[in-house]
Amino acid sequence: MTSDNNIELHIPSIMGFEKIAMECSASVAKKMGFTEDRIEDLKTAVAEACLNAIEHGNKMDTNTKVGITLTVEESKLQVSVKDQGKGIDQIVTPRIEDKIEGKDRSRGWGIFLIKSLMNEVSFEPSPEGGNIIKMIIYLEK
Amino acid sequence: MNKEIQVSISKKDDVSILNITGDVTSISGETIEEAYQKVSNAGAKKILIYFDQDGYINSGGIAILIGIASESRKNGQTIRMTGLSGHFQKIFNMVGLTKYTEIFPTEELALKDF
Repeated sequence: MTSDNNIELHIPSIMGFEKIAMECSASVAKKMGFTEDRIEDLKTAVAEACLNAIEHGNKMDTNTKVGITLTVEESKLQVSVKDQGKGIDQIVTPRIEDKIEGKDRSRGWGIFLIKSLMNEVSFEPSPEGGNIIKMIIYLEK
Repeated sequence: MNKEIQVSISKKDDVSILNITGDVTSISGETIEEAYQKVSNAGAKKILIYFDQDGYINSGGIAILIGIASESRKNGQTIRMTGLSGHFQKIFNMVGLTKYTEIFPTEELALKDF
């Protein structure tokens, strides 16, 4: 914990560790009163953001870490995922038809899922180097 | 950290069933692909993939399933899926996998009129 409404964790750049961030986010969201459906959406988005950071940002370099910050507000939860990479050049919306026909590789769904499942998503460079993806999910009452 | 995957193969009439226990990710994908290749090589035309309701599926796992859906079209096979939680049924619909495979709520319904 860094302040009353912030929770920070750092995971190694190893596939599978995204589940720690996923379960931590789910616990916080449950405590805030999010529905089971929205918690499942959050879990997938957080897992995908961490996987991107591990795989593409930190290039699975085990000397690097992925930083996750959960910021709790009255009506929303913000999850920031920080890597030490160079950032995303361009975001292309994947088309399954291209992937089925072999015109495009079958991977590349992470950002699409994050944007589909979260209320707000932004990408920005970190002042200390690396990149941050910020995801916001609103508590519907 | 990931729940280790196991894929068992069984058959009901002319339907080959791949029963997946554990997480579906890029790491576990090879095990699923191997099971798919095994039933394909044995001439399977109808394949039912049975997922672990509590399993974790990520984009790497979805990519594996898209690869299998792509192969199945070339091989003239039909793929049905069951055992998926409501969340992953939604995700599969979002990415468009349901255009190439059918999802059923139970094994019984998936096998009916297959």
